[in-house]
Amino acid sequence: MARVFYPLERFAPSPATFRLLPFRFTRLNGKELLVNEAGEFLFVPSGTAQGLANEQLNTNTELYQDLKAKHFVYDDSSSPLLDVLATKVRTKFDHICGGTKLHIFVVTLRCEHSCEYCQVSRQTATRGEFDMSTSTADRAIAMMMDSPARAVTLEIQGGEPLLAFDVIQYIIPRAKKLASEKGKELDIVVCTNLACVTDDILKYFRDEGVKVSTSLDGPAFLHNKNRPRPGHNSYEKAIEGIERSRAILGMESVAALMTTTAASLDYAAEIVDEYVRREFHSIFLRPISPYGFAVKTRHRTGYEMGRFLDFYKKGLAHILKVNRGGYRIAEVYTQILLTKILTPHGTRYVDMQSPAGEAWNVLVYNYDGDVYASDESRMLAEMNDRTFRLGNVHKDTRRTLFTGDPALQLFHASCNQALAGCSDCAFQSYCAADPVYHHSTQGDMYGNRPSSGFCSRNMEVIKQLFSIIEENDRETMRILWSWVTGERAVKEVVECA
Amino acid sequence: MDQPESTRTPDASHVVVQIDRTVISAEALLKTSYWFSRDFVCEIRNQDDKLVEVYLTPRSPMSASDLASAQDAFATSAIDFALREKIEAKTSGIRDLLLAKAFSESGVLEDQPAGVFGDTIEETKSDGMFKILDGSNR
Repeated sequence: MARVFYPLERFAPSPATFRLLPFRFTRLNGKELLVNEAGEFLFVPSGTAQGLANEQLNTNTELYQDLKAKHFVYDDSSSPLLDVLATKVRTKFDHICGGTKLHIFVVTLRCEHSCEYCQVSRQTATRGEFDMSTSTADRAIAMMMDSPARAVTLEIQGGEPLLAFDVIQYIIPRAKKLASEKGKELDIVVCTNLACVTDDILKYFRDEGVKVSTSLDGPAFLHNKNRPRPGHNSYEKAIEGIERSRAILGMESVAALMTTTAASLDYAAEIVDEYVRREFHSIFLRPISPYGFAVKTRHRTGYEMGRFLDFYKKGLAHILKVNRGGYRIAEVYTQILLTKILTPHGTRYVDMQSPAGEAWNVLVYNYDGDVYASDESRMLAEMNDRTFRLGNVHKDTRRTLFTGDPALQLFHASCNQALAGCSDCAFQSYCAADPVYHHSTQGDMYGNRPSSGFCSRNMEVIKQLFSIIEENDRETMRILWSWVTGERAVKEVVECA
Repeated sequence: MDQPESTRTPDASHVVVQIDRTVISAEALLKTSYWFSRDFVCEIRNQDDKLVEVYLTPRSPMSASDLASAQDAFATSAIDFALREKIEAKTSGIRDLLLAKAFSESGVLEDQPAGVFGDTIEETKSDGMFKILDGSNR
């Protein structure tokens, strides 16, 4: 005997009217994609945005219930649930709370590599005047610990920081002592090409709980082409260093980053396979930065953003294929964006924050005591553009750094919520402002979005990810969710990137 | 909402999009032109109180079919920006309230924003979400 149920309307009558909550929309794959203030999204049939705007939508439909459940509308039978939505918004913006978390110490400009695209402006290996002095280190440590952040990361880089190992040995115990006195958690990462690493250095890192982030651009032919050094053996040195580091520090304490030069563009699969061969579980397909020596040599190392996007898509497809085959490896940029799209959380990756993470969430202490808003800001300074030099550890306090003209100008251009082209963009909650990039590439911190490589990259990648989400292939989504729910290795790479 | 009228000119070097100002505001038109400015010189000419013509001249050579597609895309984009404007007008108040509420509880504001943040409907319910999230229960 068939059971008869009362119709749904008896329990939840359809409201006669409804009201809108704030959202943005775009068109994608023949549908409309709605995104609310907290980054929650919904694919809806074309014409829905107009129906919403005119408040002419059938409230007796599943679509209406979805819109209500995802905070796009409310009516007399519900409420705007402002507390819930406000909590989600606050979670998305969590990165602006707590003060500067990442502190980069450039302990030397010396390096024995001569990479054409180098993101730092290296000096020859014997010029000790480009090392950080003890007095500068003391002041930088004090400034780092003045940050209100409860947990801070000390990232030591160069040049090649192991060439100034004595400076590292000076900094680490003092930073630890001050962190302990101030009740702060302290993570320490050394970014090194590992060419000069020794077992004694690695044992010191092990004893001090230091993690290592290194560079691996792909197979030997590519890595050695990108990273020339005497002996033409950068790859061999890197691989040997990775193995020794893992043996002494443990697998989890060694991460690798790659840079995509023009020479890399045809080898997406080979680069991914190299990371798999070396048993890494994350890879960051990131474009070359338009700073430092990369600007001078862009005719050899640079490329159009469109070519990078082709590379990224091929790389991502290959990574998914590798995951389907049973080996877990996450693409970090995808993981960052998916975290923003699929979860209430934001990201610790400073390049993808709005308000921009530069200065707010990262400070760079150069070997000479100058303080910059980001590593990219320092690279610009090495090209004689000191727009983002916030001050100097010997003359400034944290307060004067953050209230000086360079910082205030930067902050003014740092919210994509208030930028032309971004203020209406459906992808605003997933994207960023990056005033340093736009100053470098367009001569304007605010930037022109239609011609911005930053905008075209993010727009294209986010559209690609939404296409995958909409397709909703069960196995692909399982893999992507596994990246979002994440493992520590991915987070560590992000922090150091 | 009425569509802006698109008219193909005999001159293939540019196309003209006719916009009804009673449907598409100046702000929506400027936002549309902004996104087309990378590939086109966008010249806006007022014809009368009701009609605006936008001349789209490609910055580099473009086939007639691509030009026609751009003309259609401009018209569609203008309508989208008009819709966004309408949605923004209807939701800006609640967005301000939402953001004020979010950040007033984050500790990043020096002063509490003015206004009432209570969720009046939820407050009346014994098991309302407002009660669950109320500070006394945290």
